[in-house]
Amino acid sequence: MLTVNVLLFVCLGYVAILFTVAFVVDRRTRRKPIRWLQSSVIYTLSISIYCTSWTFYGAVGSAARNGLEFITIYLGPTLVFVGWWWLLRKLVRIGRAHRITSIADLISSRYGKSPSLAVLVTIIAVIAITPYIALQLQSVTNSYQVIAGGDDGTTTAFWIAAGMALFTILFGTRNLDANERHHGVVAAIALEAIIKLLALIAVGIFATFVVADGPADVFAGVTAKTIQGSGDIFGPRWVILTFLSATAVICLPRQFQVTVVENIEERHVATASWLFPLYMLGMTIFIVPIALVGQNIMPSGSNPDLYVLTLPLAQHMNELAMLAFLGGFSSATSMVIVAAIAASTMVSNHIVMPVALRLLPSSKAVSGDVRSLLLTSRRFSIAAILGLGFLYFYISGGSDALAAIGLIAFVGVAQFLPSLIGGIFWRSATRSGAITGLIIGFALWAYTLFLPSFGGHFLLSTTVIENGPLGIALLRPQALFGMGHFDPLVHAVVWSVGMNALFFIVISSLTTSDGLERLQAALFVDVYKSTTGSGSNISAEVEDSEDLFILAQRILGDIPARKLFDEMAASQGIESGLPHPTDTVVVRLERELAGSIGAASAHAMVTRIAGGQTVSITELIDIADETQQVIETSRQLEEKSAELERTAQQLRNVNLRLRTLDAQKDEFLSQVSHELRTPMTSIRSFSEILMNENDISESDRARFVGIIQDESLRLTRLLDEILDINRLEAGVSKMDLEQMDANTAVKKALDTISGMTRSAGVTVKTDLWPRELTILANDDRLRQVLINVLSNAVKYNTAPNPEILVHTSLVVDGFVHIDIIDNGGGVPPEVSTSIFDKFARGIRTSRNHGAGLGLPISLAIMRAMNGDLTLELTPQNTSFFRVSLDFAAPQNKGKS
Amino acid sequence: MVDSADLQLARRKTRDRSVALIVIGIVFLMPPMVRISLIDETFFSIPFALVYLFSVWGLLVIGSALLARPLRDSDKQNDEINGQDSRD
Repeated sequence: MLTVNVLLFVCLGYVAILFTVAFVVDRRTRRKPIRWLQSSVIYTLSISIYCTSWTFYGAVGSAARNGLEFITIYLGPTLVFVGWWWLLRKLVRIGRAHRITSIADLISSRYGKSPSLAVLVTIIAVIAITPYIALQLQSVTNSYQVIAGGDDGTTTAFWIAAGMALFTILFGTRNLDANERHHGVVAAIALEAIIKLLALIAVGIFATFVVADGPADVFAGVTAKTIQGSGDIFGPRWVILTFLSATAVICLPRQFQVTVVENIEERHVATASWLFPLYMLGMTIFIVPIALVGQNIMPSGSNPDLYVLTLPLAQHMNELAMLAFLGGFSSATSMVIVAAIAASTMVSNHIVMPVALRLLPSSKAVSGDVRSLLLTSRRFSIAAILGLGFLYFYISGGSDALAAIGLIAFVGVAQFLPSLIGGIFWRSATRSGAITGLIIGFALWAYTLFLPSFGGHFLLSTTVIENGPLGIALLRPQALFGMGHFDPLVHAVVWSVGMNALFFIVISSLTTSDGLERLQAALFVDVYKSTTGSGSNISAEVEDSEDLFILAQRILGDIPARKLFDEMAASQGIESGLPHPTDTVVVRLERELAGSIGAASAHAMVTRIAGGQTVSITELIDIADETQQVIETSRQLEEKSAELERTAQQLRNVNLRLRTLDAQKDEFLSQVSHELRTPMTSIRSFSEILMNENDISESDRARFVGIIQDESLRLTRLLDEILDINRLEAGVSKMDLEQMDANTAVKKALDTISGMTRSAGVTVKTDLWPRELTILANDDRLRQVLINVLSNAVKYNTAPNPEILVHTSLVVDGFVHIDIIDNGGGVPPEVSTSIFDKFARGIRTSRNHGAGLGLPISLAIMRAMNGDLTLELTPQNTSFFRVSLDFAAPQNKGKS
Repeated sequence: MVDSADLQLARRKTRDRSVALIVIGIVFLMPPMVRISLIDETFFSIPFALVYLFSVWGLLVIGSALLARPLRDSDKQNDEINGQDSRD
């Protein structure tokens, strides 16, 4: 038989083990992190505080009363964790990037670090979890009474509450951790998670295989009807319960604490995504068998909530009953510890801190030890929260069904959902929207679910609950506006969460947010893009870092503060002393402080010292409109890329042209060398003959000297031509232009070459314009061009009766044309394009004349006189040269 | 540049599968679909509704376990890219 003494002894021993674990882990972690304690398995086990004594005892009771309905409480979290990629990952990322300390901190931080929102969320959270803590007290009390006997539940509950408060204070407020991580507590609750799982499975196996004779016996005579409980199991209540449990696993302050705040590595969430649902599966797999076996063998009237404990007791399995008791105790204590830690963090950061900030004059900042103030306030908050839980237990008189109490808490924290989800996925969500939604949702929750749960003992009397305030039936708490045909829970959820979301969306779309809020919205919604998480735009107006250092000392403690400042100084290249109070330093400090006291308080404290924040609007828009920025950047990149493409094309063209020019230059050089070499060779050979051979006849000598003379002249001419073309092409030699008659110029040129034509037997015909053709030209140069072209026509004419026709004309568009047409067949088409190139192939020079530079020079001259020299085609398809120049009308005389 | 098109496709596929898993979970666990379990049959003498719910649950756990690593890794690559862009 289990005696009270044995029970107390085992309990205290168990608590001592938990305390030792927490203490040792805390100590060890401080020196060096313990690898396996930071693993994803421990993380998952800590999340399992979701399975409280409500699961441990209440699920069996629920299964006995309502059939399969209890499963919904685990299906919701399963769905949330299966879809971790879309929501939990983002929450954890935000939590890490912004050093979030609680759900109140997250919501207030998202909506512009709003202190009022933080207070509101804290109050709702504390009120909502109060029934939940009462539930744990009740279950431990009931289980204690089952073993120890006695009727005075209140006294037992009081001592349990006091014990838990002490326990939590010892565990949870040992230190003021940066980032609010409690490694010791996490290790202890991981151990408790294992105990409660083992205990429940052990009782399940015992019930199924020892008490009953295997599943066949357990389920004998059980039909689909029995298992679905009373009424329509898969109706609205099924959906609403799944929704609520999914919401609770995110929004319950203690779940937020273990899932987001205590998260060490983001990848642990991936493991928890299947391990946590598996854990819950393990916890629930024997619930139905235990409930069925309990109903079969326990005397009627026994509380199904306690089957887990009473079943082994009835079978005189004292050790198993003790294990079951410890399992239930574990589920209750782990939940209460974390819930109280989470709530006390919120209370001290968001309620005590701002008040203390206001009361403490800033000059006295040095004397006030904020750290001890924070720790003290946390200890008192823990005691107060457990006190509230006890009070609820006392007033509600220990409601029969555990499940009903847990669900009240679930609906309460579900009020955070619209602001939370909207906050991290919707940029336009505003503070006003969040506050309005929360207040309305909270009020409706209190009116439709929380206050009626006291059964007329608190604020709402039984008559009000049944007939509405002042007898107005439309306002009946559980049938608002006549919606009485719903289950009270469904009714409360639809009204409170529905109105909350509705007002949140409507007010958010009607209001606009201010600078800091917009910035935070951008940082939260686009958390994957901006990994730094900084961005509170404070312009530092601090004289020196002394004040900031004192602030850090007060909150972080002396050694961590010194470490932080040394680090910042080092990054500025300062070896000893404090860093310069740059914006970076201020922002970093604010982030570090936020890890201890929450974003809103940290922001308030730092800005108080830094002298007010100034948010530069342009800067803000830059960050906030990151999407816009990305679009802009990509547009600029596109432009730049197109521009680069164009430049590259131009470069390619230029390169091609340079290559051609280079090839031409090479050709030119080789031609020039060749052309110079030929006369040089003959000059050298003849001069050698003259030098070495004495018996040369005088006539030969004279002939040789003549040849040398000719070749020298040819060399000179060639060099002159090269120089000439160089000058012309470089535009160095400026030509004096004068008005003259084109016809006269032609006649003069023909006179000059008359000797040549005669000797070559070429007939020259002219067809000149009847009137004077005034042109602007240089007389000598024009004649040079004409002589060059004419002499070419004479030289290359291979016709039997060579003939040249010179034709001058004035064309309509104001050009004077001088066409030189011969009957020699013209230039071969294959060389017509390169005929004006220097030393172009195809115009091999004759031995007697220049180096093939005649045409290029002529072209250069014509261009220098604003005219042109072109190769044209006759109607008979033979080519001829055309010299063209602007017609200068006689009245333009004098103008030039 | 850092991502090949293949890698991006693989990641998108992984995420699509994760969405599919959630949709499967919701469809099979919520009415009206969940009502198919209300038949008066037993499976190794266990009522079908119980077997049905726990089976869907178990399949979700298995699916999630299979997707956990690919999802996690796709995020890691993402972070490396982001990290390069926005390192302090």
